Amino acid sequence: MNQKSALLCILFMTLSSPWLRAADTGEDFFQAIGKMYVVVAVILLIFIGLAWYLFTLDRKISRLEKKQKYE
Amino acid sequence: MKFKDYWWKILGVLLIAYSFVAGLLTPLAPGIVKVDPVRSRSGGTVQMSVVGYNSHYNQAAVDAWLKLDQNRSISASEIAVQDARHLTATFALPTSFPGTDTINVLSLVLYNEIDGHSILPGAIFITGNDGGGNDSLWSDDIIQVDEASGFHFPFRNILLETIRNTFFHVQLWMAMMFIFTVSLIHSIAFLRKRNPLSDHKAAAYASAGLLLGLLGICTGAIWAKNSWGAYWSFDVKQNMAAIAMLIYAAYFILRSSIADRDVARRFSAVYNIFAFLMLVPLLYIIPRMTASLHPGSGGNPAFGSEDLDNTMRMVFYPAIIGWILFSSWIANVYWRYLQLQENLESQL
Repeated sequence: MNQKSALLCILFMTLSSPWLRAADTGEDFFQAIGKMYVVVAVILLIFIGLAWYLFTLDRKISRLEKKQKYE
Repeated sequence: MKFKDYWWKILGVLLIAYSFVAGLLTPLAPGIVKVDPVRSRSGGTVQMSVVGYNSHYNQAAVDAWLKLDQNRSISASEIAVQDARHLTATFALPTSFPGTDTINVLSLVLYNEIDGHSILPGAIFITGNDGGGNDSLWSDDIIQVDEASGFHFPFRNILLETIRNTFFHVQLWMAMMFIFTVSLIHSIAFLRKRNPLSDHKAAAYASAGLLLGLLGICTGAIWAKNSWGAYWSFDVKQNMAAIAMLIYAAYFILRSSIADRDVARRFSAVYNIFAFLMLVPLLYIIPRMTASLHPGSGGNPAFGSEDLDNTMRMVFYPAIIGWILFSSWIANVYWRYLQLQENLESQL
């Protein structure tokens, strides 16, 4: 698990750096939009990851509830 | 699990994902970033270089005015376009302004067919005034304000692209209020019927609300660093939000500090009511009364028509609903866990 989150961190930092550089050159939106897709993808990835974690947690609890019901 | 039990969880995730995509990919309206020079003398000529944003100066003819008020503006005598975002506008400045102020401030208004109107308020300060306001250079032929077509968010100086944080910072607070209200309802229900399930739900929703509030404070600090220069300005709303979160954190400390489970539940239910009631003066009354960096202060209504427009509302409201549903899911998992824990303990 630690290796996975370290990889995610590195991936996030490298993917978001083009967008950070765009702010320095003073590009406006239409020039930066190509890189904005990268930002959106990264943020969606993080968010879907969190939602997935919550989903698996939810499933674990459902199974425990079902087990308890039949005791 | 039947679909009717979890449809709202999926909807929450989808609405938040939508708010990320639409909130980040919708362009801002065309605007003016800066001008140079920012001061000049009356009666002379000023060659103003203008930097635009999301503009198309080279794709449609640009008109420019320096506007004083509704009836007085100066049309540009010459406009030289360098590229889509840069142009130079030459203005002949009048010698007399209405009133007796020696220094007057003019706004820059640009218009072209593609971008509509862009306005930079307070663009240039003019010193010198012969008085009277009767100068042939003043005219009132400025085209009335007209928006560019297409779906875009408002352009605000200083904020620029960070206006998108409305969907990632502000919505957390709106969702938090709803979540804390649900927690309050369950606390009151517990006091009436003494059902442990209500107490678990109250605690779960309080913890989800506390999470939203802490995220709101952190995201606000990041935004503040960019807009106000510091992560923490001891701004009244920042302070009050921190106090409100400390009050809710104390709720959990209270719960765990009392050994007798029933007494702990009753005390924390009463405390929850107090904590919720504190939210109103802390977050809504005190910040509006005093001067503050946040919108909605010094007697003004909070977060109104100046901060949002209809395009932003199309992303803002779904974002709030999405976060309410998503944090309800978090609370849902937590109180089901508390129920399981209680059942297990009572079986032992």
